[in-house]
Amino acid sequence: MKIFVTGIGIVTAIGLDAEENLNSLGSLTTGISRSNSSGLMLGEVKLSNEELMNKFQLPAEDYSRTSLLGLLAATEAWANNKIDKIIRTGIISSTSVGGMDRTEKYYFDARKNGIANSSLMTHCNGRTTERIAARLGISGYIGTVSTACSSGANAIMQGARLMEGNKLDRVIAGGSEPLADFDIKGFSSLGIYDNAICKPFDDNRMGLNLGEGAAFLVLENEYSISISNNKPICMLAGWGNATDAFHQTASSPDGKGAALAMTNAMVKSGITVDKIDYVNAHGTGTGNNDLSESMAFKSVFGNNLPAFSSTKGFTGHTLAAAGAIEAVYCVQAIQKQTVLPNLNFTTPMKETGMKPATGFQRANIEFVLSNSFGFGGNCTSLIFQKA
Amino acid sequence: MYISAASTISHHPTFRNKGFSSQLRELDPASELIRPDYSDYIPAMERRRMSDVQKMSIACSLDCMQQAGIGQPDAIIVGTSMGCCVNIRSFLDKILSANGGPLSPTSFIVSTHNTVAGQIALLLKNHGYNMTHTQNSLSFEQALMDAMLGIKEGFQHVLVGGADEEEQSLYNMRAKLNIEQLHPVSGASFFILSGDHGGSEGVNLLDAGSYGLIDSITDCTEHFLLSGGQSAKDIGLVLYAVNDKKGMAELNSIFRREQLFDYQIVAGTSFTNSAFAMHYGIDMLLDGSNPGLREHKKILICNNVIPENLGLILLAA
Amino acid sequence: MEDLKYELKRQIIEELKLEDIKPEDIQDDAPLIGDGLGLDSIDALELVVLLEKYHGVKIMDEEIGKKVLTSINTMADFIVEEKAKAT
Repeated sequence: MKIFVTGIGIVTAIGLDAEENLNSLGSLTTGISRSNSSGLMLGEVKLSNEELMNKFQLPAEDYSRTSLLGLLAATEAWANNKIDKIIRTGIISSTSVGGMDRTEKYYFDARKNGIANSSLMTHCNGRTTERIAARLGISGYIGTVSTACSSGANAIMQGARLMEGNKLDRVIAGGSEPLADFDIKGFSSLGIYDNAICKPFDDNRMGLNLGEGAAFLVLENEYSISISNNKPICMLAGWGNATDAFHQTASSPDGKGAALAMTNAMVKSGITVDKIDYVNAHGTGTGNNDLSESMAFKSVFGNNLPAFSSTKGFTGHTLAAAGAIEAVYCVQAIQKQTVLPNLNFTTPMKETGMKPATGFQRANIEFVLSNSFGFGGNCTSLIFQKA
Repeated sequence: MYISAASTISHHPTFRNKGFSSQLRELDPASELIRPDYSDYIPAMERRRMSDVQKMSIACSLDCMQQAGIGQPDAIIVGTSMGCCVNIRSFLDKILSANGGPLSPTSFIVSTHNTVAGQIALLLKNHGYNMTHTQNSLSFEQALMDAMLGIKEGFQHVLVGGADEEEQSLYNMRAKLNIEQLHPVSGASFFILSGDHGGSEGVNLLDAGSYGLIDSITDCTEHFLLSGGQSAKDIGLVLYAVNDKKGMAELNSIFRREQLFDYQIVAGTSFTNSAFAMHYGIDMLLDGSNPGLREHKKILICNNVIPENLGLILLAA
Repeated sequence: MEDLKYELKRQIIEELKLEDIKPEDIQDDAPLIGDGLGLDSIDALELVVLLEKYHGVKIMDEEIGKKVLTSINTMADFIVEEKAKAT
């Protein structure tokens, strides 16, 4: 079955929609800056909750930032699609912390003042997906996956599998993640921040920067397109998921899970390794991930590593949303027939000598591979193809 | 698709107790989770970081693999509505008490919803497919649908389960949602779904469905049964969880009273309790003594714990 | 010094939730991470927090951390040295 991407929507630190994001990528403009509240380098979306709520004319106080960012990206991707009974439509979203941005505020208040607050109900991961579904008029398959930093890619993969399994004809799939104190403090306790903007794949990389954002793709099969008349942007050719099973948070030295995910995706796509024209890496900028992922590249591609880069120097690491945000970037790479840049790279890692692309590079881009790896050793790769 | 194994830890003596379905009585409100000796399943160095939801899930998973006689599953899929919420709460408490000082990382690291599925894979050194579904009361049904897709795609054996741990903030949340709380429980139920029954008699999973933001459980239920070539009268027993009058009225209009059994009376309240109901149903079908199952050896699990959500699971002997 | 070492062992057992281990079971010079006690990288982070929380001493980078967290002896020595610097 052919699975077409017919819509994209995205909000990150480098733009409030697809066009703004692409312009920032092209002009090498990062969205990471020092946060006033925490003093950390963060990729913040330049919209407050109030501005988001006004945009959607929502009642105050009732929506988590996760839902708001998700609504913004999902409505852009959904565009002029209509709900009707003959196209079986579903939504799969993803998030690590659900409505935590509100939960933690109310929890801290409750602990200090002893009052239980009913807004704790917006914490539930599935709730944010329901909000988006309700807004778009989707009922039926409404799902949420949560596999830490591979979540967004897994949501897209689930959507495709449900279509191939003849359960759905059209899916809007992606993820949303706010900057919650829970994550900011959590990653701080792990000591893996860079105090400057991160340097993925650089020998002197110091760690990651957190970011927030949301992104969605609309996927359709040929039957759905025959009715919706949407124009295909590109195809989702394949996907692969595997487990590293090395440690709860660290990746294995040989990148076994990552290599398996990439290989599974290529097998699913029916292509050989030499067909990949560009890899959008997970590339968080941590010592561990970038080395492990590079080792995985070595075992999969051997001496024929295609052009690759990490875009996390633009957006920060957006956790669950990363796989979806980077999927949108891969679609844009195909649209514009260009490799995407890796910011802040100067010195190749001494272990590998690998050099990522550092600017827009026009090329014949037919197949693009996107990697996302999460806590729990969850590794997912998606492959997009020019239509 | 064949169910090669089933294992449940709950507030009843269900763990490693085949035939438990005939012994089950109404849940005692004062009941607590009945925990096996986890040291039989999990080494101390790994166990120390785990909350109930992880320990239960691992014990049930290992029990399943022993029952099915397999070394490694091809996939590990978990449905959990609130994940490792004890660890989430623990980290929130640590943020408060650290008050800007040094922060202990352990509860953060094991707080992501996929920690359960990830820890099972880590313990087994399993490199296969691994997924976690977190869609409120439909988490387990979506995990099952994922497992069924996997079998169709070529997986031989899929380890699939539903697990949740009870926590005070969950209780408060359900009260806000006006969900009647018979008795909030923790629990885990895991299964091995296999593509091939290897010649043994047992129970098959015919279908699973997940319907969110629905208006009518009648439409969804009839569509679900019809697409599998079934009708309401083919069902021997309907294990249901319905908490509102409208839902109950609809259920009564689709099925006869003798077909219906409210599983929350024995299972208590949990967003992933349809997993308990599935094991309960499997045990009843294998036991065969329930008069309702004499003529039609099929059980439908109808999970309407949240009125706008409907989860359906169809089992057959 | 012996009191400090005993205290460290007690704190490590409590903070890292090491069941079935008593302070007497931990040798002063036995490796803590990997071999010996068998702690992992997450435990190492917890030990850094423990040192700051209970003893007011900070490990400033990974290199220092690797040396200090080798054994009970090295941890106790570090605490004593740092406290002497402060006074």
